[in-house]
Amino acid sequence: MAMIREVFKHLFKRPVTVKYPFEKTPIAERYRGKHEFYVDRCVGCGLCARECPALAIELVPSDKNVNGRIPVFYLDKCIFCGQCERICPRAAIRLTKFYELASPDRKTLVYSAG
Amino acid sequence: MSYYQVPIGPQHPAIKEAFQFNFILDGEVIVDVKPRLGFVHRGIEKGMELRTWVQGIFLAERICGICNVPHTTCYCLAVEKLYDIDVPERAKYLRIIINELNRIHSHLLWIGILGMELGFHTLFMYVWRDREKVMDLVEMISGNRVTPSMNCIGGVVYDITPEMIPIIKRNLDYLEERTKYYKSVLEEDPSIRARTVDVGVLSTEKALDLCAVGPTARASNVKSDVRFDDPYTLYDTIDFNLITYDTCDVWGRAMVRVDETLESISVVRQALDKMRPGPINVKVKRIPPVGEATARVEAPRGELLHYVKSDGKETPYRAKMRTPTMANIPSLCEMLKGYHIADIPAIVASIDPCYCCTERVIFIDPNRGEKWVWSYDELRNYSRKYYGVGV
Amino acid sequence: MDNVFTLIRIFIFPGLLFLSILAFLFEWIDRKAYARFQNRIGPLYAGPSGILQPIADFIKLMGKEDITPRYVDTLIFNNAPIFAVAIPFFASLYLPLDGSPILSSFEGDVVLLLTLMTLYTIIVFIAGWASTNRFSTVGAARAILQFLAYEIPMFISVASVAVYVGSTSLTYISMNQPVPMILLQPIGFIVFIISMQAELERIPFDIPEAESEIVAGWLTEYCGPKLAFLRFAEDLRLVFCSGLATAIFLAGGSGPILPPVVWFVLKMIFIVLLSSYIRSLFARFRIDQMVSGCWRYLIPLSILQLILTRFVEVGLRWL
Repeated sequence: MAMIREVFKHLFKRPVTVKYPFEKTPIAERYRGKHEFYVDRCVGCGLCARECPALAIELVPSDKNVNGRIPVFYLDKCIFCGQCERICPRAAIRLTKFYELASPDRKTLVYSAG
Repeated sequence: MSYYQVPIGPQHPAIKEAFQFNFILDGEVIVDVKPRLGFVHRGIEKGMELRTWVQGIFLAERICGICNVPHTTCYCLAVEKLYDIDVPERAKYLRIIINELNRIHSHLLWIGILGMELGFHTLFMYVWRDREKVMDLVEMISGNRVTPSMNCIGGVVYDITPEMIPIIKRNLDYLEERTKYYKSVLEEDPSIRARTVDVGVLSTEKALDLCAVGPTARASNVKSDVRFDDPYTLYDTIDFNLITYDTCDVWGRAMVRVDETLESISVVRQALDKMRPGPINVKVKRIPPVGEATARVEAPRGELLHYVKSDGKETPYRAKMRTPTMANIPSLCEMLKGYHIADIPAIVASIDPCYCCTERVIFIDPNRGEKWVWSYDELRNYSRKYYGVGV
Repeated sequence: MDNVFTLIRIFIFPGLLFLSILAFLFEWIDRKAYARFQNRIGPLYAGPSGILQPIADFIKLMGKEDITPRYVDTLIFNNAPIFAVAIPFFASLYLPLDGSPILSSFEGDVVLLLTLMTLYTIIVFIAGWASTNRFSTVGAARAILQFLAYEIPMFISVASVAVYVGSTSLTYISMNQPVPMILLQPIGFIVFIISMQAELERIPFDIPEAESEIVAGWLTEYCGPKLAFLRFAEDLRLVFCSGLATAIFLAGGSGPILPPVVWFVLKMIFIVLLSSYIRSLFARFRIDQMVSGCWRYLIPLSILQLILTRFVEVGLRWL
């Protein structure tokens, strides 16, 4: 009978539902969202592409650094584990708090510098 | 009266994942049950062999969405045995904390699922609302609600800062109060008791015979818990109880889980108090030495075992997991016999089944007995062709 | 002129159109209240506070593809939704919504209404049976089994009111209550509400369409416009059952100041809220528990109410 009172009390409580697109819940400081890539710090070592468990990072030729390549992030494949951020020796990759990535077109989910 | 067959699954509201039971029924009474696995086989063990040791952590994390932390813990423990390293003490306590938070979230989820299967949607909504508190904690600690990616070979990745501790304790207090309330609901509510008491009985002898694990075994009064039998990551320094019930039914399994949630809350509190400042991980070489190792942890659903073998290359030579749901399926078939169709959802839910955990064993074999395995490159090519972009 | 007036009464107010609006409104109230009991918001986007959501659902389902599976009994399968809507409509026309019944009132119409409810269960059964799906068959069998359990206590609880008032005409019963019957016959009211919950296939007695057990029970094979009709029929039955409870136990449209129709609808909303509250309190019972519970508790209780009624009647006469 513990339920009868509890349920009745909820009639006068504010619903806990958040009307998502209009109001948002706070996100944790450490949230792992979309990448931010600082091209000036990248040396093109390729560690991120080698470590990425989801193969979401591909190296493309570039003249921005000595190794001649920079990473491209496929956000549709990314599992947001944060391994690239952790492995990068020059702190050129950072995961931001941005998470609204849904898109009808996969091509818009390719992220690279510049 | 002749028997008739009712297939439950692969698509059925009572079973959240693809799995099939063929029930042989006499009226509404179950005479026999034939389980069929393999619908969500994803080739994870093979996938492990194609990935580096570090990438393996993230693949292990995705074996099961709900008990992902025990999977990574177990994998990391096994690989650390290969390296023969000892992780720092703080990392061990952090592993305990994240494992127990995961257990709380999994058990609360399960109480909600039980309510849902019994048609008690209000209980489901309330429990899942309160479960958000655990998810918030996990998000605060690691940055993700469900898959924290907390473990790494040699320790853990994210530390708990002193500012987080009061927030964690506050949320745990709230959860403890709510869990006690749900315990009273499960104990008192007439409609829940009517549907769960003396339903799905698995006697102690049967549970031992069929090698039941986890809460399923403990509800049948079998004292088995890896945290006690083979303590890992400093569980032996923490004071908590092994919960057993001797009712052997669905209700007992529910009570075991509720009580374990309360125990987990106290474990997290103790671990928070015992934690001393220090390093949280040690650096390891990229490739472990040649050898093989196994590790066991107590996942929310029962005993979980990971086996890895290294031949000194960049990827594991072999990886194998034995998941608790797999171990509990024989017991489940035994439990179902003699009960009604209406009891199926409650009994099936009572082992807390996780089929995507279970199914990595059978190879996909679609072309009538013809076996073929795609190499990783072939798969990537296929995906590239299929979607037109990407790697 | 008189004919036109009758037609307006039947088709517009308080007839079919008004009843349809009430059906959609009650579904919204029910969903909203159920959501609030569960600490949710419920329907939100269609119209203010989602008040148009049931209509939107209905239109959406009407626009879906109409599939008739190959192995069903086509005649019954396709016609069952029409009967399912027609029966509660017809029955609702006897409710004294604005003080007098829409169609007509005669001695014994309570019996007719209860019989029409029985007929609905038969429609459910043959619709499920004609689907030839295993889940539908089990659901249909459960519907008829459940019907054997709740119908008798429901009849007896209605009968004890009829005995007290001394009439079997719904309008007469609703207009001739010195105090609302809920105060004089609380046991009968409780029995009626529980049976109503079973009649409407709502938790804890949603056994014939238990989602987690037998998919959607007898509704499994229905989709598109047919499902829209069946769901509309459920809303209409909610209107009818709450109307019946109002007329019998809450003295119908009688009340101070406001016109009878407003009172009637307000009392119906009270019944709907009560039903949502019960819906959020329990887990689903098993069919054997439900049947034995009804025979073991509800029937003796309703008979007790009948006997008490007799005593009260005799006692009042002595006074």
